[in-house]
This record gives sequence, structure tokens and C-alpha cells, in this order.
Amino acid sequence: MDTGAWIILALIVIFILFMIAMYNRLVALRNQVKNAWRQIDVQLKRRHDLIPNLVEVVKDYMSYEQETLRQVIEARNSAVKAQGPADTIAAEGVLSGALGKLFALMENYPDLKANQNVANLMEELSSTENKIAFARQFYNDSVMSLNNAVQSFPSNMVANMFRFTEATYFEVPQAETAVPKVNLR
Amino acid sequence: MASSLVVTCPECGSYNSARASVCRQCGAVLKAERAQRPRMQKKLLRRTDFLAAARANQANTRRLVLILVAVACVLGYLIGWNIQIYAQAPAHTYGQPAPGDWSPWFFSAWGAIGAAILAGVSLVWTFVAFKAGDRIVMRMTGARQVGPDEAPMLNNVVEEMAIAAGLAKPKVYIIDTPALNAFATGMSPGRASIAVTQGLLDTLNREELQGVIGHEMGHVVNWDIRYATAVTVLVGLIALVSDGVLRSFYYGGGRRRDSRGGGVVAILLLVFAVLAPLVAKLVQMAISRQREFLADATSVRLTRNAQGLISALEKLETSAQPFDGANRATQHLFIVNPFRNFSEKASALMATHPPLSRRIERLRNLGAKGY
Repeated sequence: MDTGAWIILALIVIFILFMIAMYNRLVALRNQVKNAWRQIDVQLKRRHDLIPNLVEVVKDYMSYEQETLRQVIEARNSAVKAQGPADTIAAEGVLSGALGKLFALMENYPDLKANQNVANLMEELSSTENKIAFARQFYNDSVMSLNNAVQSFPSNMVANMFRFTEATYFEVPQAETAVPKVNLR
Repeated sequence: MASSLVVTCPECGSYNSARASVCRQCGAVLKAERAQRPRMQKKLLRRTDFLAAARANQANTRRLVLILVAVACVLGYLIGWNIQIYAQAPAHTYGQPAPGDWSPWFFSAWGAIGAAILAGVSLVWTFVAFKAGDRIVMRMTGARQVGPDEAPMLNNVVEEMAIAAGLAKPKVYIIDTPALNAFATGMSPGRASIAVTQGLLDTLNREELQGVIGHEMGHVVNWDIRYATAVTVLVGLIALVSDGVLRSFYYGGGRRRDSRGGGVVAILLLVFAVLAPLVAKLVQMAISRQREFLADATSVRLTRNAQGLISALEKLETSAQPFDGANRATQHLFIVNPFRNFSEKASALMATHPPLSRRIERLRNLGAKGY
């Protein structure tokens, strides 16, 4: 073969190697997104398991707050039943709002805060809240890396060829971002 | 390196091109007059670019580890050469024609063997350290492992930071001392350990503890723990061999027979044995200081909250409790230098940690970015 043929052959080999590298990167990013979502799921399940215990312990102290406790239980039950990311995100948003209200009300009961059992449960629940937030943060970072790779040139050609699609962000639900209204009158 | 082309960063000691106005490694200001311009002010706010910093960090460390291996090889070569001259062996022993044939004059077969042996030993030693390093360090500092039942909050915070970094949860250790400190070790992000002192747990609130654990997780994410182990091993080896050479000079100096430039080579070895541990130490310090800034920045990236780490560092700064569990080999692992008096009096070149005030200032800068 002459020099021209060798050069063309070398270019083809380099091109194929590039394609392989990009494909592998896309696969790694997609798996990272999937794994990050599973992490969120684990923490959400843990929160669902902890809430009945907390309600059981505090209901004797907080007899005047039956309405709030009922809201928490209802939000928790509908969150357990939710299917698919869109439903889950909405239901968990409602649950986070109800829990936040309960935590705020618990501040009014000093003997409740003194209870060691309650303190342990509170640490577990607030840690789980943090873990959900951090898992969501990592999930969204992973989604951004994947979407960047799917959209930007030249990896978007490989993504189109092998049907890599963009992932959806875990948006913070409206209920959590809304500034609470304070009425002083 | 010509001094006209390269400037040394006053803060972290890394090399920069003479045209740069900001250190590429740690983002410190290199030219004071340029820092006043408005465009420069913006650049200073942007200077903690995590990914670029991590890349520069990795490349720099690889270069520095290579320098350490090269220093070890030169040391081995000089030792081999000296032994050859001392033993009055012919210059070329392996299949070379005539004993008197010194071409080039500095070639020595025994020296090459010596260099190869020292390179081999450093490789084996590094390998052993990679296998058992975390356990050795934990025993040296007297840390004990704690589960979720014993220290629920600490375990929770570590798990939170692991989730934020997308890693497996590291093992959690506590050191029973009132001093305030923390460190991370381990051979890969998947198999890491984080240790904090009891004093730290008692003094910091949850938010501050999260900042500190985020800093340690930053060392894990950036692979600092592994490089730190490799560097520790190499520095230790160079110090050990140099020490042995100096001792042999001290005890065997009188019996030395001078032949064919042996005196010159012996002086060469003597000078190198004195200088090598110093060079190794400087390299170790430079690596360590660059990594502290980066780990601080990573902590803020994980927690999205600079305030926790800032107030934690302020508490660490005011605490005067000394920590006996640390020694010279492990000091660069900790979040703040355990030898407080040493670090304050020593020059910036020899410290393993940047001054706390500098680190707090950097974090405030990050906070201004909206984290």
C-alpha cells in the first residue's frame, strides 16, 4: 500500500477509537444517573419507615396537634404509593412540607425535646432529610454531566446513534421553595 | 529552571509562568499591582475552579513523585559508585573490555545496580503501604473504629457527605483526645477511613462538623490520601538511606583509601546525602499545602455552605490543645497542623499547612460567589 492509504487507514482507526471512548463515557454517565436515583430512593424509603415511629412517640405529648399529625401520616402514605419519578417528586414535596411543619411545632414542647427517644429519632430524621438533599444534589450534578454530553458536539452524534436520551432533573417542589407567609396580626 | 521564565508562588510554592498574575495551583495573587484592576478582581473571585484545580493537582503530584523517585535513584547510584571505588573493583565488571577504560568517566556498573535497587525498594515499599497503609496510620494515631450505635451523629454526617460525593461510606474512627483535629486515609475513594478527635466532636456543632467532614471527604475525592501515602513512603526511604550514608561516613571515614577520584565521588555522595532529605521534605510540604486549599473548596462544593467550615476553622484556630498522637510522618494528614508552635515559627516554605487565616479568607471568597 502507498502512503496515502496508510494515512487514511490511520485516520479511520483514530476515528473509531474516539467513537468508542465517547460511547463508554456516555454509558458511564448514564449509569451514574441511574445509581444516583437509586440513592435518593433508598433515603426516601428510610424516611417512610421512620415517620410512623416518630408519630407514635410524639402523639401522646402533642394531643393538640392531631391535625398536623394526620397530615404527616396522609402525606407519608401517598408518598409510599407514588409511582414513577414525576409522581414521587410531587408526593415527597408534600411530605417534606408536612414534616417541616411538625418539626416547627415540636419546638413548642420542651419535655418532648428532653425525651432521649425523640432526640434520637429527630437526629435520624433530620439526617435522612440531609441525605435526601445531598442525594438530590449528586443526582442533579450527574444529570447535568449526562445532558451536557448528550447535547454537545461531537458526543451528541454518538448519543443520537445509540439513543442516549437526556435525563430529568429532580426539581425542588414548589412547596419547599415557597417562602412561608408570616402574619403578625 | 531559569528564574526569568518561572516565578514561585509565595503561598503554595508551586511554579508559575512569569506572565501569570494568579497562581495556577492555589489562585494566590502573584503581582500585587495587577490585583487592583477590576477585571483582576473578578478573576480572583473565580479562582477556585474545582475541576481545573484538581487536574493541575494530579499532574503536579505525578511530577513531584517522579522527582522523589529520581532523587532516590541518584542517591542509589552514588552509593553504588562509592562502594565500587571503595572496594577497588574494576570500573566495568560486566563483560566490558579493559578495566582502565573509563568512558564516559561517570559510568559505574555498581552505581546502576544501586540505583535499580533503590528504585525497586521504593516501588515495593509503596506497594506495601498501599496495601496496609490505612491500618498502620490508624494504629499510629491511636484511633478506634466506631459504629452508628456508638456515635450516631458522626456516622450520619459522614454518610451524608459520602452521598453528596457519590461514594461509598468511609469507615469512621474516633481518637480519644481533647485536641481538635481530623484526618482521612485509605487507598482509594472506595475504601477510605475518616478519623476525628473526641474534642472536635464535643466542640463543633452539626453544621461545623459537616464542613470538617466535607474537607476530609474532599481529600478522599481528590485521591489525596493515596498520593500522601506514596509521598510519605518515598520521603521516609530517602531520609533513611541518607541517614545510613552519613553514619557510614562518620564511622568509616578514617579507613577510606583514596584512588582514582574516589575522594571527589565520596564528597559528591556526602553533599547529596545531606541535600536529598531536604529536597524530599520540600516536595512533601508543597504537595501537602496545595491540597489543603483544594479540599476546603471541595468541602464547600459538597455542603454548598461555606459558613460551617469557616466557623469550624475559626474554632480550630483559637483552640490551643496540643495533640500527642501525631508525629512527623503523619502530620500532613490532619486538617490543621498538630504541631501548632512549629508551623507558626517555621517559614512558609516548610509548613505542611497554609495559615488558617489564608484558608478562611479563601472560603469567604467562595461564599461571595453565592455558595
